[in-house]
Amino acid sequence: MRTSFARLVTTGLLALGVLAPRLAHAARSQAELVDILKKVDDRQKNSGDWRSIAYLEQKEKGKVDTVYDTEFYRRSEDQKFMIIFTAPKSSAGQGYLRLDKNLWFYDPSVGKWERRTERERIGGTNSRRSDFDESRLAEEYDPKDEGEETLGHFHAIKLYLTGKPGLDLAFPAIRLWVDKETMNVLKRQEYALSGRLLRTAYYPKWKKIYSESKKGDVWYPEEIRFYDEVEKENSTLILIKSVDPRPLPPNLFTKAWLESKSR
Amino acid sequence: MSKLAIDFAIAFRNLLQHTRRTLFLGGAIAAVTMLLILLTGLSTGVRETMIESATTLSTGHVNVGGFFKVTAGQAAPVVTEYEKVVDVVRRTVPEMDYVVERGRGWAKVVSDTASEQLGVGGIDIKNEPHFKSVLKIVSGNIDDLAQPGTALIFDNQAEKLGVKVGDALTYSAPTTRGTNNTVDVRVVAIAKGMGLLSMWNSFVPIETLRALYQLRPDATGVVQIMLKPDAVDHVNEIAARLRSSLERAGNRVMDPVPQAFWMKFQSVSREDWTGQKLDVTTWEDEISFITWVLDALRWLTRVLITILMCIVAIGIMNTMWIAIRERTREIGTLRAIGMQRGAVLWMFMLESLMLGLFGTIVGAVAGTLIASLLNKAHLPVAQGLQFILMSDHLRLGVHATSVAFAIVFITCVTGLAALYPSRRASRLEPVVAMSHFG
Repeated sequence: MRTSFARLVTTGLLALGVLAPRLAHAARSQAELVDILKKVDDRQKNSGDWRSIAYLEQKEKGKVDTVYDTEFYRRSEDQKFMIIFTAPKSSAGQGYLRLDKNLWFYDPSVGKWERRTERERIGGTNSRRSDFDESRLAEEYDPKDEGEETLGHFHAIKLYLTGKPGLDLAFPAIRLWVDKETMNVLKRQEYALSGRLLRTAYYPKWKKIYSESKKGDVWYPEEIRFYDEVEKENSTLILIKSVDPRPLPPNLFTKAWLESKSR
Repeated sequence: MSKLAIDFAIAFRNLLQHTRRTLFLGGAIAAVTMLLILLTGLSTGVRETMIESATTLSTGHVNVGGFFKVTAGQAAPVVTEYEKVVDVVRRTVPEMDYVVERGRGWAKVVSDTASEQLGVGGIDIKNEPHFKSVLKIVSGNIDDLAQPGTALIFDNQAEKLGVKVGDALTYSAPTTRGTNNTVDVRVVAIAKGMGLLSMWNSFVPIETLRALYQLRPDATGVVQIMLKPDAVDHVNEIAARLRSSLERAGNRVMDPVPQAFWMKFQSVSREDWTGQKLDVTTWEDEISFITWVLDALRWLTRVLITILMCIVAIGIMNTMWIAIRERTREIGTLRAIGMQRGAVLWMFMLESLMLGLFGTIVGAVAGTLIASLLNKAHLPVAQGLQFILMSDHLRLGVHATSVAFAIVFITCVTGLAALYPSRRASRLEPVVAMSHFG
């Protein structure tokens, strides 16, 4: 019930315009479309270190809601990434660490590291590591223009992205709604290889923070709502708080550091 | 009349003379034999049911599976160029009855109302007569599984997912390269559950599985080798032979680990290699997570029989002591008229061996009859036990070999129990024995 209501509120703000007639626009060239993706990526790119706190809430049909407090860290330079769970108590100390293109999971209750796939559902929620990572749409996808749409009071550029050949991507196709004014992503739909819609994400709130490493503003979604399109009643909410783009200690992205933090 | 026949006649007459004692001891020996046969039958029945269920649902007697790793951390249960593997199998395993290839996977299965994580077996139903003959179809038609985009699930899964024959399901899983994918299937058959293994197994045509995981036509999940009945007990030897042959044929083969393939994902993902590695397993390895039931039953049988045998042995020894005491003067007389010590020993031994043989035969007949009646009665077992026994009714596997073993084993124990008292009897001095009163 709460899931449906939350979805209604989100879509009330954004999705009314889906039914609105497409706005008239001049056809964009491929270079322009790639440029749009680059802008989307650049706004979120930090070019340095990143630390923030994320709150994850997973709703699944017939199950008790699961809620996690996490701290996540990333370093653009070598694409290092780390998430540590701080709450609830049963999950506190667990963490993911990405090193040399391998994602590792640590569970302090057994004191062991396990290698996981890049597509791992973080904490069993419908969020993936890539949802917390920097956007690399221009690197990974080829865009196709699908016109413009109004999402609530936003004018959005609608793009259909297909994965570049040779890349192993979690979602081979994505439909993207980008705010024409700010170039922030408003809505994103991810498809399976079979063409079936798997997940819809809404980005209703964007915030910016000044980054010394970038020498400019970095935009990040303060709230992301994922709706499972296969199991219609499942959803995940991510709230990102306390963002800090200042440099992190060099020894942070190590198994030893995560283990020590887990104690 | 030969000497041996005379010995037998004397032993038999002695047994008849002491009717109460013979009946009491013989009855105890018969009861232990019957119990041994029933307990062994239970253990064998569970083992046979396990083999049948396991070899129908998830494993051959011997399997060549393995993992393909696109990256070091991404393992998929895939055997590439499986036809080359089948060639090696045909050359190496003359005990083979037939061979099948199956796809292996793990997917989220979603209906309109619910979802469940299930194993996915990719199957070519036309080549699996055993599968068709063992599964009990509750509704639908198993032959429709030959059509692409179809699925066979078990009654407990149908209940959880709220589906019936004709309803649609979506299988959702990442491909071997980690790309999310789905296939929509139609339920064409619902089978009766077969215990623990059918809890998390479902079946789709192999082509549908290949479409879901984006596998090439020459890739499969596992090559399952079904052996001729007399070779089933030699699976470990055959697996070792096959392992060497596959290595000689240029394949990388994993070290033998007695675990089901899905239990190896963690260790395989931790290892730093990419490409293909084959893994040869036996049916026992693939269901190692439930063979503790067999071990527990075996141990229970051993402990019970040991305790009972101890009681019987003490009873026999005690009875023999009494018999020797009662017949001391008779022994003295026999020795005085020329009977050798060995002959006295033989006489008492023969008596107890004969008692043991008669008792075990009666027990074996009774045990076999009871087992046969229980099998015919199709006694239902509690649902909790069904998961472990993999059957909804009690089944006892009583075979001629186990009956013969019970007869020989218990007769020998009876003979051994009588050895010491018989030896003491044979060592009595004739003068002392003849003057014995009591």
